[in-house]
Amino acid sequence: MPVDVERAGGRANRLRSTATSGRMVTEYWNNLFTARERGQQVLWYNGQKVNVFAQAAGLAWCHGEAYSAMLAARHQEEPAQRAADARGFMGELCSYARTHIGCALMSDTADHVAEAGLVGGPVVHGDLPLPDFTISAYPGCSSGQQWDETLYRLFGRKVPMFNVSIPFLWGNHGDALAGPEWDEALAYVVRQFREMIRFIEEQTRRPFDWDKLSEIMYYIKQAATLRTEAQELCAAVPTPASYWDWIASIAPVNFLPAGPQLVEYFASVKAEIEQRIAAVEGAVTGERYRLYFDGIMNWNNLGLLAKKFASYGAAVIAGRYTHRAFWTKPHLIDPEDPLPGIATHFLLCPLNHSAADLIRFTLEDCRKYHLDGVVFHVSRTCRSMTSPQFLIAQAAQRELGVQTMMFEGDVADASFYDDALVTMRLEAMLEAIDVQRTRVA
Amino acid sequence: MRTGILERLAEAAGDPWSYAAQWKRRTGRAVVGILPMNFPAELVHAAGALPLLVQQSREPITVGNAIFPTFYCGYSRSLVDQAARGRCEVLDALLFVDNCVQIIGAADVIRLTRPELPTRYFQLNSSVGDGDSVPTAERAFRSLRMELADLVGPVTDAAVTEAIALFNENRRLLREIRALRNHTGVLSSRQMQTLITSSMVMDRAEHTQLLTELLAELTAAAAARPAGVRVHLSGHMCHPPHPDLLDMIEESGATVVNDDLYHGLRYIATDVRADGDPLAALAQWYVDRDATVPCPTRVLSRTSWATYLADQVRATGADGVVMLMPKFCEPQMYHHPQLCEALDKQQVPYLLIETEHEGMPMEALRTRIESFLELIALRG
Amino acid sequence: MATQTDPIPPYVMGVDLGSNTAKSVVLDSRGELVAHSVVQMGAVSKGGVRASIAQTLEQAGLTREHIARTIATGYGRRMVEMADRTFTEITCHARGAARMMPGVRMVIDIGGQDSKVIAVDANGFVEHFAMNDRCAGGTGKFFEVLAKAVEVELDEIGPLALRGSTEAQISSMCATFAETEVISMLAEDRPKEDILAAVHNAVAKRTVGLVNRVGIRTPIVMTGGVAKNPAAVRFLERALDVEIHLPAEPQIAGALGAALLALDDLRAMQRASAERSSAGPDGDAAGDAAVAGLADLEADLLDRQIRPDPAHGPACAHCRGAGSFVPLSIAPIDPR
Repeated sequence: MPVDVERAGGRANRLRSTATSGRMVTEYWNNLFTARERGQQVLWYNGQKVNVFAQAAGLAWCHGEAYSAMLAARHQEEPAQRAADARGFMGELCSYARTHIGCALMSDTADHVAEAGLVGGPVVHGDLPLPDFTISAYPGCSSGQQWDETLYRLFGRKVPMFNVSIPFLWGNHGDALAGPEWDEALAYVVRQFREMIRFIEEQTRRPFDWDKLSEIMYYIKQAATLRTEAQELCAAVPTPASYWDWIASIAPVNFLPAGPQLVEYFASVKAEIEQRIAAVEGAVTGERYRLYFDGIMNWNNLGLLAKKFASYGAAVIAGRYTHRAFWTKPHLIDPEDPLPGIATHFLLCPLNHSAADLIRFTLEDCRKYHLDGVVFHVSRTCRSMTSPQFLIAQAAQRELGVQTMMFEGDVADASFYDDALVTMRLEAMLEAIDVQRTRVA
Repeated sequence: MRTGILERLAEAAGDPWSYAAQWKRRTGRAVVGILPMNFPAELVHAAGALPLLVQQSREPITVGNAIFPTFYCGYSRSLVDQAARGRCEVLDALLFVDNCVQIIGAADVIRLTRPELPTRYFQLNSSVGDGDSVPTAERAFRSLRMELADLVGPVTDAAVTEAIALFNENRRLLREIRALRNHTGVLSSRQMQTLITSSMVMDRAEHTQLLTELLAELTAAAAARPAGVRVHLSGHMCHPPHPDLLDMIEESGATVVNDDLYHGLRYIATDVRADGDPLAALAQWYVDRDATVPCPTRVLSRTSWATYLADQVRATGADGVVMLMPKFCEPQMYHHPQLCEALDKQQVPYLLIETEHEGMPMEALRTRIESFLELIALRG
Repeated sequence: MATQTDPIPPYVMGVDLGSNTAKSVVLDSRGELVAHSVVQMGAVSKGGVRASIAQTLEQAGLTREHIARTIATGYGRRMVEMADRTFTEITCHARGAARMMPGVRMVIDIGGQDSKVIAVDANGFVEHFAMNDRCAGGTGKFFEVLAKAVEVELDEIGPLALRGSTEAQISSMCATFAETEVISMLAEDRPKEDILAAVHNAVAKRTVGLVNRVGIRTPIVMTGGVAKNPAAVRFLERALDVEIHLPAEPQIAGALGAALLALDDLRAMQRASAERSSAGPDGDAAGDAAVAGLADLEADLLDRQIRPDPAHGPACAHCRGAGSFVPLSIAPIDPR
């Protein structure tokens, strides 16, 4: 008999070790907000992890998407989005971009910069300081690149910008991840890194600290290794950690300063996971369903979604955003010769893959983690993440026989999310899984 | 006879797949589909194939909705729909170079659903302000040439040079006809669009010959430009606005005196250097295109679309600008505020019309257009 | 069309044929309001507009022969048989609102099936506008659908909403999806006041979006049927943080504007007539030609709805002095 999903019940049992990330992240933002007081230059960047270069160069850095995500998660995004609306930026634009651009517009500082040239002092919504210069390194998404271009124009072209063009991993003749196409793409990105570093040197008026970069990548490699090992442990039943725990760990792996603290953090996460496996303790009490989450996170509803899935005993275990991004191949990082390893990861951004490769990755993860279904967050203003989702869903159903479910929402604009619909569809998917199990049984 | 040429061109523009199929039967040669915007179609022509710039179909999107999201621009969705419905059978390959995320997504979905169609991508550096853009473009075009050699046949420098001369001539004729039309209204906007669309899908030599004849006829027939509110049509970077919309704008009392549409000025404004290494010339053309008519899909450009638009309006004495924006076109959305500000500064009225692939409420749009024209008339 | 010898009658009429109401207004030659009426129709209908015109004429004690010029506006403007020409509701609402409230800079009109925001310049002319006519979100229709869902009469939703707390949110702009949300809220036993507050908030938010498209300016006047809902006005004021002024008769703004535009035409025609009669010995022949030319021009403009271009051909000499369709409240245009 199919179990009545409403009565299944379950509770989220979040990792305790991820709480430290909250403190680390708050410290990072505070440091950024006070950068000018310390006479530190500020870099804004979007797309891939330019922060490692920024850290080596002694800069304060801000990842635009991370900032928008942070505002959305704190439910503080609306004023910035209204400011962007008022200026004429439409609601269908990438909401990361709209939120970030709105921040820059809010205190008229952008116009001030455009008229008067670079001003070191003014801050924008949420205390974020305006940049001294910007770097865009956006793989697989022309919109991301155009977002940075828009800021560049809003600042009257007075804030210097550098663009790293990252080739899309198309695969004209089969494998895009190996062979001549890959080699050429890698070499091209590495070449641009050298130019980018020259740009940074010009802006900072000091030589780039290559030793520091090696040190940073040493820590990144360690931290990322621990992270991927910890993720793989979640093949255990019940899963010791959930997708929501990995979301909580995105800030550390995405943009926190690399150092012993970062390594300790992921070591503690892995240790707790190992303890839980030994104790057979799950991330969701009463785990009944194991799911994959495809799509960027719906930051406005982080808590709501985590609770909702758990309440049905649905453990969301892995996702494209958490498992196919953020230093996923640390064994390819050579701290002594860091540029190729960094370039590799820039290219492997989950937005930068063909549908065929993404299907392959999803099926791999579904098998690895013994998953029953795939949930697709169809982020309404993102035309990069969403294009292959129908095909991934069909492939998952066809090849693995798993259930799939799609819900519309958005990364930072709350108006696109409809909770009643999500609940209904989730229940429908879980019922379908139950029926499937009954038949198999 | 004039009706004859325009009819022929309209037929090809209206049903490019049939035209291509007939051409293929007649010549026995390959048809290579290409996608907008900066593709060097000369290379395909030099390979002996027909470069067919795939157009948006007027058919409602149905099957495509099952495999591609609906919040993408009408063009990308129509591409997917046409491929899914087997409309692209005449193509021997599909090639493209631009990094528009929606077009890449569409092409990617197409090649998964149509694995028998070789689909090849050679990415250009959209950052045209970089010193690297021209060499990167040249590398991309050389790879593209090698691919064409595999798929179709060898592409010699001489053939490319010849193609460049032919395509330049085609562009020149289109520019002349367009200038004539802007000053005399001898063609409607719909007809002008037909000329551009047919150039995109027909054999370029055939098209050029027809244009030469047409130009002579039009020059003889030209009279004074009709009275009307003078408007500049702006937008639609890679696919055409629905011709019904153009008709409606003109029927409401506007006279189109200028544009910066892709199926308009953008497609024909820039020629390729005729001398020297042809692939280097094509690479330079890629960057020159943005310099001539600033393109919002490029980044770090030294040109400004907002400034360009304001200058053009001033130069042509347009009374107002009708901005045609395909729903979900991100580059246009990003630039929209600055365009408005530049026009506000010059006190030029503008109207935004968001277009869609299907289901545009024509009566409601008519009200907006009429209100806009009334606004201009009443302010004097 | 009056000939040169007949005296031009002294009244004008504006007719606004909307999606479910027909409104008409009669003004005298000084621009004073003589009569007006609003007729509810089931749908757009010629019968409805005839009824409205008949009512207004009766109120004024006039017949059709007294009306020198009629301009029609609204969704069904082309269906108004007695109209001499049409203008869109954008142009007319701006004109009517500027008359109802001199100095107004922004008009917000929320009607049965569409909503519009119009930025008006110091002279009462349209500068910019934005419309939502694509879906029911943010229009009277939205209220209709959701009033039904909570089973409250349309004219009672306003007072109830004002009593509600603003905690609940409706995120969907689509009336159909919003209905689903409302049903969920009813199932959760949320009080109707709160649900209706959420509905009003949603409409206010949608309107704020339109206002942003145009760029806010004050003072603001609200016209259209929804202006009669006190909660709709209040919630919008809160959302914009700005006072919204209400004319006594918000529904007739469009018809009033149309009538004013008709009056402008009338005065232009009268001026042309006066100029003809003050012409010299050859005046009659020139006058006949002028009248004929004006008639041709009118016919052309009815077809094309454009401003005559004085630079276009000899026929435009007849425009000079007759003026283009520019109200006398601003300086006449110098012919080019």
